[in-house]
Amino acid sequence: MDKNRRNFLKGAAAAGGAATFAAGYYGPLEKMGKGLVNGTSGVATADRLHGNSLAPEYSVDPKTGAVSLNPDQRIAFTVCYGCTTKCGVRVRIDKNENRVLRVSGNPYHPLSSDEHLDENTPVQEALRRMSSFRDQGQLNRSTACARGNAAMAQLTSDQRVLECLKRTGPRGSNQWETISFEQLLDEIVAGGDLFGEGEVEGLRSIRDLNTPLDPDNPEYGPKANQLLMMEATDYGRSALLKRFAFNAFGTRNYGHHGAYCGLAFRMGSGALMNDLEKNAHVKPDYANVEFALFIGTAPSQAGNPFKRQGRLLAQARSTGNLEYVVVDPALTAAASHAAGDRSRWISILPGTDTALAMALIRWLLENEGYAKDYLAVPGNKTAGESGEAGHTNATHLVIDEDTHPRAGYFLRLSDIGQAEAGTDHDHPVVVNQAGELESAESASSGQLFVERRVQTSDGPVRVRSSLFKLRQEAMRHSIEEYAEICGIDAAVIRELARRFAGFGRKAAADAHGGMMSGAGFYASYAVNMLNLLVGSFNQKGGVAKGGGSFNGVGAGPRYNLADFPGKVRPRGVFLSRSRFPYEKTSEYKRRLAAGESPYPATAPWRSLAPPILTEHLLSGLEGYPYRIKAMIGAMANPMYGQAGLTSLLEEKLKDPKNIGLYVAVDGFINETNRFADYIVPDSVMYEVWGFTGAWSGTLTRMTTACWPVVEPRQARTAKGEPVSLDNFFIELGRRLDLPGFGDNAIEGADGRMHALNRAEDFYLRAAANIAMTGEPLPSATEEDISASGIEPLLERIRDTVSEDEAGPVARLYSRGGRFETMDKAYNNEKLGHAWSRPLCVYNEAVGTAIDSYSGRRFVGTPTHHEPRFWDGSRLRDHYPESDWPLLAFSFKSNLMNSYAIGLERLRMIKPYNPVLMHHNDAVRFGVRHGDTISIESPGGKVLALALVGDNVHEGAIGIEHGYGHRELGASSHIIDGQERAGNPYLAAGVNINDLGFSDPTRRDGTATWLENVSGASVRQGLPVRVSVVPYIA
Amino acid sequence: MDKIRRALLGQIAKLTAGAALVPLSSIASAGINDQPPRREGDPEKRYAMLIDLRACIGCQACTVSCHIENEAPLGSFRTIVSQYEVEHEDTGDSATFMLPRLCNHCENPPCVPVCPVQATFQRQDGIVVVDNEVCVGCAYCVQACPYDARFINEYTQTADKCTFCAHRLDVGLLPACVESCVGGARIIGDLRDPESQISRMMKEHYSELMVLKPEMGTAPHVFYLGMDERFVSRPDAKPAIWDVRDQQGEEIGYEFSGH
Repeated sequence: MDKNRRNFLKGAAAAGGAATFAAGYYGPLEKMGKGLVNGTSGVATADRLHGNSLAPEYSVDPKTGAVSLNPDQRIAFTVCYGCTTKCGVRVRIDKNENRVLRVSGNPYHPLSSDEHLDENTPVQEALRRMSSFRDQGQLNRSTACARGNAAMAQLTSDQRVLECLKRTGPRGSNQWETISFEQLLDEIVAGGDLFGEGEVEGLRSIRDLNTPLDPDNPEYGPKANQLLMMEATDYGRSALLKRFAFNAFGTRNYGHHGAYCGLAFRMGSGALMNDLEKNAHVKPDYANVEFALFIGTAPSQAGNPFKRQGRLLAQARSTGNLEYVVVDPALTAAASHAAGDRSRWISILPGTDTALAMALIRWLLENEGYAKDYLAVPGNKTAGESGEAGHTNATHLVIDEDTHPRAGYFLRLSDIGQAEAGTDHDHPVVVNQAGELESAESASSGQLFVERRVQTSDGPVRVRSSLFKLRQEAMRHSIEEYAEICGIDAAVIRELARRFAGFGRKAAADAHGGMMSGAGFYASYAVNMLNLLVGSFNQKGGVAKGGGSFNGVGAGPRYNLADFPGKVRPRGVFLSRSRFPYEKTSEYKRRLAAGESPYPATAPWRSLAPPILTEHLLSGLEGYPYRIKAMIGAMANPMYGQAGLTSLLEEKLKDPKNIGLYVAVDGFINETNRFADYIVPDSVMYEVWGFTGAWSGTLTRMTTACWPVVEPRQARTAKGEPVSLDNFFIELGRRLDLPGFGDNAIEGADGRMHALNRAEDFYLRAAANIAMTGEPLPSATEEDISASGIEPLLERIRDTVSEDEAGPVARLYSRGGRFETMDKAYNNEKLGHAWSRPLCVYNEAVGTAIDSYSGRRFVGTPTHHEPRFWDGSRLRDHYPESDWPLLAFSFKSNLMNSYAIGLERLRMIKPYNPVLMHHNDAVRFGVRHGDTISIESPGGKVLALALVGDNVHEGAIGIEHGYGHRELGASSHIIDGQERAGNPYLAAGVNINDLGFSDPTRRDGTATWLENVSGASVRQGLPVRVSVVPYIA
Repeated sequence: MDKIRRALLGQIAKLTAGAALVPLSSIASAGINDQPPRREGDPEKRYAMLIDLRACIGCQACTVSCHIENEAPLGSFRTIVSQYEVEHEDTGDSATFMLPRLCNHCENPPCVPVCPVQATFQRQDGIVVVDNEVCVGCAYCVQACPYDARFINEYTQTADKCTFCAHRLDVGLLPACVESCVGGARIIGDLRDPESQISRMMKEHYSELMVLKPEMGTAPHVFYLGMDERFVSRPDAKPAIWDVRDQQGEEIGYEFSGH
């Protein structure tokens, strides 16, 4: 290697290495001579020059730009299910074969387009704008990503579940028979001896809204809570599922993938944004931000919104003003060599992000690297006067003495006798510039760092300002100590802080699922605090919550889809013991009455956390707080996604005595629903109804409308409707005589009642609500209808909604949704859609919540702690570095996801996930590049191939997520006596979650390791050891 | 060692020193072989592609959309993005380098003269194509291409490669890879039209553009912006690992290696 060169090459890091492109190099020689002199021995192609390439979907006249549609194809707009971004796409369909040909982006859609088109643009004009006419289609693109392109293989997969299945062997034995949809409904509703294993309680009996499920603990609610609903995530159909679950069946228990996806991040963000109900989060305003710091997220490698971030990042670093740093244990696509100094990767030890963030906070506070004037704004009044879109609580005073009855709460006017407690005027108190106590809503400015004693109605007490408390926490360690913990040089941290502060309100810190460590909640809270301190919230070039969506499923202008006669309000304690303080349980009171210490609780009660699937399952099978009797899961796969769950859950779930009934709704058999008793075949992407929004970072308001652009392929009900998630819940609701389903279930604005007997009864009415919101949409033109391929939908629209709604609804589907125009993104130097709640330097709810192990209050500001277990003991107290020298972490693949392994066009590019190992660790453990290694954790062991290099932090083992499957086509199943063979290539590689383990401080085997505050699954920073496996095959 | 890995290691060529900027002025000059006359296609146009590597995020949307659009067999590629790890020797910083690859539609395509039946030819608009009705699948062109851009299609048994999606360009649409380029890195267009986006960018960035293996004299018409000059020839890099293993550690090879 030429040492004079500035850079040198380290390796073909991963996908699409030289090997694949040159694959044609080696085969052809053998084939010489096979061809005839006058042509090929292969199958004749469709065209002599263009081979078997697809026929174009339309053509554009090079002179006039006139668009001519191909009469054999349709273009339709709907949603992609390839990841949770849920981009709007344009789907090319062969009309004659009802087959999807290829997919690209919906030009009206902000998640797919550079600059999305005004929805008043006629569809043919939009198609011209996507063509090569005057280079328009590449000056402003609308794209689909690799997975979005490959995902259409789901439709035609030979691993798809197309019939209703009932197990014929023991749970998990992979033996099934096909039954009719009606038989399936009969059996799950009535119960009985369904499997020759004894009585199973049916859903009709479980749906009891009156009998308490546990008379000793009446707060647990009625028996109906013993149905647990699971869903992967909201792909646009959750509203109907929840209508069934909460408001018709009346169970309290629903969980989705969030708790093993990014919950620790989301809650840390929610704490800062004063939104622990929905846990709002922000993304940088990529087009205008000048310095971005990514910690625990790698835009353009992965993340949500994937394409939007990727393209904005790419443009900002090539032709814009962006400089950015990616902090990650692994080198990913986010750090670009071609972009030169515009991007930089800094590696970090997994699970130590809090140390870095607290060091940065400390530097900002010690060097006045914060937005002083902005932080001094105490309330809404001054914020409005000074042109700020909101304010923080930096100056608000916290009652900071444990003996005070209101310890941890903000000092309010009522505490100093100036207002009545609980009234609208009972504002927080600040110290104004004159040094006096004053209402946050009257003071023009507050002092930032305050510590003093004040007289309250409950006596004298020490108060401290929020920012003072944050500084106290940040100062607990020196920057050198933080540097030692996270493995980043102190000088690098200082320089990073200086750069970040230097860009002021045009700097952004961004985090996401990389925060899922044993300290994730506070890590995320701390990273988000950087944005608060420099004042980048709501700024053009700062961080953005986003534009939100149009709600079609509420009490809309045309139909009330939120309320209906007989609507149930679910009640009782969540199975996951969240959002309910332990101190209010009967158990707590009994223990107190018996004279014993109520702490630690039997298991964690997390008053701040939302319902979490990470606790639901084991709690429901273990029976604390109570048992579940039945479970319905829709596309959910926690046994693949939650670290350590499979080994704890599998045997318990297999035993019908623990849970009588498990019904899955899914298009595929996955690692979890393979234990189901019944599988209801579902529509897959492009066959579904629904409405989806965008997560954060999309600056304008938008809703994607999804409809079955191709006919579902699975079984039909006796009435001729496709068996699907929607029709399953509708028919189940009708069988159970539940309110909100069947005839007279939906009330129109005119007072007339309408039926909910099939999916479109719900979705087309939601479409009418969206189309008629605010200024109603105009009707679709004939040209729009043919160019957007919605002819097959028209009859259903006309049959379902009123005459004056039909045109606007057609118009909605002709654009693939409803989209605010781009000019609404900004309002001068502020964002058009501001987050107006006060931002929390100190979160009162966090600071007054009680840890159910210790009985002590949580820290209300960001704080540093090491990854820890429920009892507060540290990871390394139990699993010392001497035994477990490395920390494993996962990172998102830029191709694969947790359910994409069945897509052959992704497997052909990246068939496998060798694990990343630093070369110093390789030397230390005698591993060579390409060796097979055993990776062992306290909970499991996997075999992997080592990819040795400099692209990972020393001491860490990086595992790309999405591989190591056992199902989704990897295993064989017997259906009606016939074997459906599995494909071993779908099982290739390793899954980090097989290295998860149980929390040693909780009752044996009852819980995986979860982050304390949020209950989020811990998968970043799992202690492991490695050894070389002698040569195998 | 399995076949794939052996094949891979065999390909690692020594880094070529001194690979320089593309001499754009030489594009129209005579080639390394006598080229047969160009035929078909629009004589008023010269198609080319410019790839802004700074904007490439390595997402492989081009790879997959091309594969679908052109019905390539699984495991064979008309285009793909190679990904490399590069380390800065002074600072120790590492970064990722993405290199999209495809047929270069050379001005002097070495694949054309070697075809014994003249199935491979260059259109007047510069696009190099294969006549599937004439091709005998001898693979001379596959061997002749210095860019590994060709393969024998296992279904058709003919030579296969990128056509710049000529079937789409001819009707006013964009190639699949360009249409789906998430980062906006791929720019296609007509070099003879001075107003085209590619002509404007070529002019603006003339001195920064590079092509692959300029020393071969092929005058490629895929131009790279933001290129590291050491990548214009096959880099001397440690290989990625392709010996796929199952969960028991058994090697199961590359699923599509039969192709």
